[in-house]
Order: sequence, then structure tokens, then C-alpha cells
Amino acid sequence: MDRRPRVDPGAIRGAANGVDEPVRVRPLDELDITAVADIAERSGGPRDAGFWEDRVTSFLRRDPEGALIAEVGGRAAGFMLGEVRRGEFGIAEPTGWIEFLGVDPELRGRAVGRLLAEALEAHFRARGAVAVRTLVDETMPGVAAFFASLGYAPAPMRPFVKSL
Amino acid sequence: MNMTEALLPKSYHAAVERWRDFYLPDHGFLEASWEKHFPREPRPKLCAWRECGMCGVVECGERKGEAKYERVAEMPEEQARHLFAMIRAQASTEFGSIQQHQLTLSRARDEEEQVWVLRMMADELRHGYQMLHLLVEDDWSAATGRGAADLVEEILSIRTGDHVLGAFNVDFDSFVDNIVFCALIDRVGKYQLAMQRVSAYAPMAESMPQMLREEAFHLAAGVVPMRRWVERAARGSVEIGLGMLQKVLAKWVPRGLEMFGDERGGGSNVRWGFKPTRNAEAQEAYYQELGRVVRDLNLRYLRARLPGLALAEAEALLARLEAERGSERGIRFEELLRLPHREFFRRRGVPAFRMVGLDGELFTDREEYVRHLARVLPESYLAGRDFHDYLQQLDRVVRGELEPGKAAAQSPSLRRVGGVCPCSRAVRWVVDEAAPSAGTTAV
Repeated sequence: MDRRPRVDPGAIRGAANGVDEPVRVRPLDELDITAVADIAERSGGPRDAGFWEDRVTSFLRRDPEGALIAEVGGRAAGFMLGEVRRGEFGIAEPTGWIEFLGVDPELRGRAVGRLLAEALEAHFRARGAVAVRTLVDETMPGVAAFFASLGYAPAPMRPFVKSL
Repeated sequence: MNMTEALLPKSYHAAVERWRDFYLPDHGFLEASWEKHFPREPRPKLCAWRECGMCGVVECGERKGEAKYERVAEMPEEQARHLFAMIRAQASTEFGSIQQHQLTLSRARDEEEQVWVLRMMADELRHGYQMLHLLVEDDWSAATGRGAADLVEEILSIRTGDHVLGAFNVDFDSFVDNIVFCALIDRVGKYQLAMQRVSAYAPMAESMPQMLREEAFHLAAGVVPMRRWVERAARGSVEIGLGMLQKVLAKWVPRGLEMFGDERGGGSNVRWGFKPTRNAEAQEAYYQELGRVVRDLNLRYLRARLPGLALAEAEALLARLEAERGSERGIRFEELLRLPHREFFRRRGVPAFRMVGLDGELFTDREEYVRHLARVLPESYLAGRDFHDYLQQLDRVVRGELEPGKAAAQSPSLRRVGGVCPCSRAVRWVVDEAAPSAGTTAV
């Protein structure tokens, strides 16, 4: 039993690649922040624990069900954070934005990312989103391939950046 | 989310606003600080939200699979009285925690931490409002013998010392209490709300999802500052050390455990479909989760003491320190936080008034036990009425003058001798107005 019970009927289970231990997706809570920071660090993401504390706490305030963690055998295997917004970059339709994704490098290939994405998309749908968008770093082709495998296609919108 | 939004009838809504002005006078500061701390996030709103499309059949107990109750009148009177007590207790905790937080809110050293607690207080006010809405929207007169106005007035009139659950009758001594309370006592709230999410009374179940969403931040508002304090302590800060945090844990963990009710109880809740879990099972899950909190803080401490230590290395070091209770790399086991034993300093439930120490050691001598309590509890708490009353009851139990069960039933029994304001007893929160009307809109 939990705030969002660990046995809640909405939890998604998967036994990818024939491995018995199921992947379980649930909303993350404040006690998962350390694991999120650890996975991010080992995946080449931001190493600053304070960064993840700020980001996750912000999600817990705004939309706690949009912050998900995947577990394998009780061990954190990945996380995905996103929320529904309208009006971002002039996009009027309610859109689910996937902002952060991390999968434990030791547990890749077990459909952790796919199960997280499916759960987050279901949440976006429940909140009225009609599309899901994200930004992918082109220097990380594996991430682009991951989203492509889930049916995401490149959008006619390119990020521009200028150092200040 | 598909939710309906409703307001209390005007006179009751105004009563809650009056209560807010009295017990949460800083809500204006929260409003003024909102954009700075919570940009792009919706502001607090005094209203009742109900989730649409939830399970319509009873999920546990004797009536499992049957349609949920939509009105109190549909259920047997005994169940209605039981449910009323649950709603009253829930409302009491929501309003009670605001009264406690207000005592030491101004002593916060950090504006962000203060505003987080203020936001949490505003949420608790809405949660109390949500419970009042349950009592006002239905007809509880057959179960309670009272009308809505009396029920609202009675709940808004409860003060620290008179609340249903002991944890809400303990005064805060410093802002450390505000934060630890969020991390420990709001966590009990999370469990209670999660259990009530399946309530056989549909309006209760529908009230829970948004309250649970809001509760998620309350726990972070406790744990995140505690982590920061622990990391600062590891770097040499003497302001809020682990010794102080350990004592505050000792103050609140027993009260949190008691909020689940007697370990032998909870059967009626399950049988009647109001909660899916008996008291002991829920309490055990909570205690295990407290273990995760303490472990998380200890890992933060180790990694701050030994910069560069990876999480896996810190976990291994912590495991060795806990197993051997020795020291390694300049860190002693005694420096770390420990979760108080589940029977420590209990005054309700199965272990009530057993003389059990912080680590589970059993005391047979009253004086020795009291000296132990004095060592492991905060000094400021020892000087308060709550501890004084506990000692008096313990004496009577030790002398055989009072059965532990009877002492538990009387505890805590604080008599407020002063209060926040001597005139507050004279306040009547609900002011009669003509033709109250409630409105409901979909959001």
C-alpha cells in the first residue's frame, strides 16, 4: 500500500526478453530522488543531486502522476518525467511533454523505457493531451532510435541555441 | 484529470476563511511569494474537488462488488456513525496540523523551506474544507443527532490539545518540528488517504485523489530539507546536526505509529469497505517506509562526508557500519540516524506504556527509563506538558493504579491553559446567514 499503491491496478508489468523478474512502473516519490540522480549520473546525465532534487520536487508539486519510476526486483531501473502543457512554443493543443528519461545502463534491453513511455502516454491521455512531444539530442542516436521505435516521428520544429 | 469543483454554502465558506485568517495569518505572504517560488503553478484554492469516473462498486469487505453508497442514509446507522468519526478525525488532523505549524513557522531560517511549509498549510486547509464539504453536502443528522452548522462549528473549534489523534496535540518546539512533521506525520496521512481512496462511501473515495496528489509534495517538503540539513552537518555545520534530528525523530515516530490505531483493530473498516487494510498491516508498511527515509538520510550523510563516493559504495559502507556497529573511514555508526524501535515511547496500542528504549531495549526500572527518555528526546519537548502528562500516566501504570489500556484511552489529555489567544474560545466560526447555496462545476 502506498499513496499511489504499489499494487494499483494501473501499474504496468512487463517481462521483457524472457527474464522472469517483471518491470514495474509506478509514480515516483520523494524517496526515489537519490535513485533518479544515480541513474542519471550513470547514464551521462546531470550529476548534480541538487538539480534532480529541484526537478523532481517541482514535478511532485505540479503533477505527481507525471513522474514515473520503473523497478526491477525492487531496484530502480529507470525514470521518466513529463507533463501536459498548452501554449508551449505556440502549440495550442494540449501536449504531453516528455522532459527527462533515464534507464539504468545495466538494465537496458528490458523494455524499461518502452514501459515508462506507455505509462506516461496513458497519463497524458487521461489529462487531455492529444499529442506527445520531446526533444532529442542528435548526438545520442540511441535515444532517437528509441523514440522512433515507439512511433515518434521527427517534427518540423528545430531547437536553436545561442550562448550568453 | 476529470474532477468536479464545489464550494461550501456561503456561511460555511466564510467560516473557514475566518478560521484561516486566525490560524493561518501568513496566507497573504504565501500569495505574495507565489510567483517567486512556484512560477506557472496554480494558486491554492479553497474548494472541494472530486474525481470523476472512479470505481463504483465496493472494493473490500462484506459488500464487495455491490454498488458504493452515494448517501449516508443508504448505510446502516452503526456504519454511518463509524464513517462520521473517520471524517471528523480526518478533518481534525487537517486543521490541527495548521495550528501546530503556525507555532514555529516564523522560526524558519530559509525562505524556501518556510514557503514550502506555508504552501503545505494552505493545502491542509483545503483538505479540511474537503472534509467539511462531505459533512455539509449529505445529511448526517440521523448518525450524529446534529445539523451541518453544529458539525462545522465543532470541528473548526477544535484546538491543539483537543484533537482526535495524539500527534496533533503535541506542540512544535522549533522549525525542525515543522519539517520532520511533514516527513513523518504527513506520511501517515498519505497512507490514510490511500486507504480511504477505496471507501465504500463514494463521496469519500472521490475526495481522495486530489488530496493524495497534493500530499506528494508535503512529503518532499519534509524530506528534502532534512537531506540538506544532513549534508550541511556532514560538512561541519553545527546548526542542525544529526543528534538533533535523531531526537526529533524520537519525538514523532511513536506518535506517527499510533495514528494507525491499535494494532489489533481496523477490522470494522475492512468489513464495511471503508479501508482495505487493517491497522497493523498499514502500520507495518509505514514503519518500513520510515526505514527508507532514515536510510536515505544516512546515505546522503555518508556521500557528503566522503565526496566522490558512488551510491553503490555508500550503500555498501552503510551496510557494513550497520552490521558491525563500528567505524570506517572516520565515520562512526553512532553518528548515523537510527529509526526508533516500533515499541519505543508508546502510549497507545499494544505496546502502550511498555518501557522500551530507542533501540528496543527493555527497561524494568521506571527511573532508569525516564533518564533514558531524557537522553533521547529533545530537551525542549521534555519541558512541555505532553511529556509531563506521559510521565504521570506512566507512574500510575507502573504503580499498578491504571491499566495500560485505560491509560492509553486517556492519553494524551492535554488541558489547554492558555492557547494561541485567550479570546479564541469566544469566537464562533459559523455565522448564520440566510439561504446558503452550494455550487458545483466541472473542471
